[in-house]
Amino acid sequence: MPTTKVDRIKDEKLRESMAAAHASLRSGDFLDVVRRAADAYLALLERKPELLEGMMGRLRVMMFPRLGARLEQEEGKAPVVEWDRETFGFSEAVTYFEFAVDQLVREEL
Amino acid sequence: MKFGLFYEHQLPKPYDADDWDPDQEHRLFKDALEQLELADKLGFDYVFEVEHHFLEEYAHSTAPEVFLAAVSQRTKNMRLGHGITLMPPRYNHPARVAERIATLDLVSDGRVEFGTGESSSEMELGGFGVDRDEKKLMWEEATRQCVRMMTETPYGGYEGAYFGMPERNVIPKPLQKPHPPLWVASSRRETTMVAARLGMGSLGFAFETPDEAHERVAQYFQLVREECTPIGIAINPALAIISSLMCCETDEEAMAKGVEGTQFFSYSLGYYYAPTTGPNHRPGRENIYRRFKDTPEEERMAMFGLRRRLGGFGAGGGDSETEPEDEVQRALWRAAQRGGCIGSSDFIRETLRKYEDAHLDTMIFVAQSGARKHEDIMDSIQRFGTEVLPEFKERHEHHQKWREEQLAGVEYEVNSSI
Repeated sequence: MPTTKVDRIKDEKLRESMAAAHASLRSGDFLDVVRRAADAYLALLERKPELLEGMMGRLRVMMFPRLGARLEQEEGKAPVVEWDRETFGFSEAVTYFEFAVDQLVREEL
Repeated sequence: MKFGLFYEHQLPKPYDADDWDPDQEHRLFKDALEQLELADKLGFDYVFEVEHHFLEEYAHSTAPEVFLAAVSQRTKNMRLGHGITLMPPRYNHPARVAERIATLDLVSDGRVEFGTGESSSEMELGGFGVDRDEKKLMWEEATRQCVRMMTETPYGGYEGAYFGMPERNVIPKPLQKPHPPLWVASSRRETTMVAARLGMGSLGFAFETPDEAHERVAQYFQLVREECTPIGIAINPALAIISSLMCCETDEEAMAKGVEGTQFFSYSLGYYYAPTTGPNHRPGRENIYRRFKDTPEEERMAMFGLRRRLGGFGAGGGDSETEPEDEVQRALWRAAQRGGCIGSSDFIRETLRKYEDAHLDTMIFVAQSGARKHEDIMDSIQRFGTEVLPEFKERHEHHQKWREEQLAGVEYEVNSSI
């Protein structure tokens, strides 16, 4: 079983982006990790808008880690990432990375 | 698989009073010491004690280092776990943490498990002025420096984003070398993967199913092998998860004695951590237990955004609605819904075998919760310790062999009590 589950991501572009995020995690470019994770999660929500419906939809916005980059959504609009800072620690980058990969795999994207 | 007990020191207020009885807190701690003395004699491997602040009724464990020091003098073999120490420096200065951990390790003859974490309730973060968005950075920085203090003579000093101090020799040093086993609280799956990459044990609070545990264990050990850069000097490859315990002669008796305590655990946790209630708590002027009792069962979790009703126990219990997808919400839901290891010895044995098959290292039980009676907790510990625990102890060497295979080729020193 692959540890990061990256190769279980079906979409080629997203898989390549998260593989690049994994490389950035190992090389210490944590901002790149968080950016790619945020972009991947936004892509997931864009392609599956039904995920944003109802109470679970609101939860899906809230469950995105809030460790310097957070997801916000105004009524009737698509969610956007708000950046509180552009420096991240290792544990923060891992958190964003693992979250994004998990969500992509879970939703079979 | 190994077993431990987990203490929040829950203390519901009396239903018909606005404050606790004068001797209630005193009794709570003395009872817990008695429970742990018994558990130690029966062969329980661990106690893990939380650190929380201002969470009235939910957790009166604000000074775990004091309680664990008392436990160290009442027990002989049990490992003494901080589950966890709050590491952001506004809670605890890293040097003070290093001093306390080392001292506890010395007075306990080297039995400390050093669990670390951040906390996330508004009562605590706001109470100490800790920035929620940066608490993980604070945890990482403080933990890294704290381990240096335990292992460097002298500690060379540090100037970081959240903490700094000049060169000093932080004493005493712990008995365990190079330092006690390191853990991190993992209420979200992602943190388990942080733990693996930093060579730390994962104290999971997610009430996982055996299938989920199986997947998480596999991923965790693969990361330890392939991507670990230890935060300390020795790694502690270990996965523990939390469950509720009430072991009785029959399932019905266990439900009667155990379910409400588990429900209150979840209810009060939800109360403090939900954005609708936690930040609005009126210190010293609430009676959460009364709110819990006055709320119809089916509404107790709905008020925190959890739609399932509280109910039975065991893996198949409850109605058929979908579980919440958010991990924290799901953990709350499961704790309330299933109740974990509440049942007869046979029921609990069967449940635990599934986790054993998933190669889980340690199951930590919440035995004391809500208004459970001390006598019932003692009976439950006694029954579990004599009727369930021994067979798992006998098989533990198989698990240790499996662990050796998992860790083959890992170049780092290992200090783990598994």
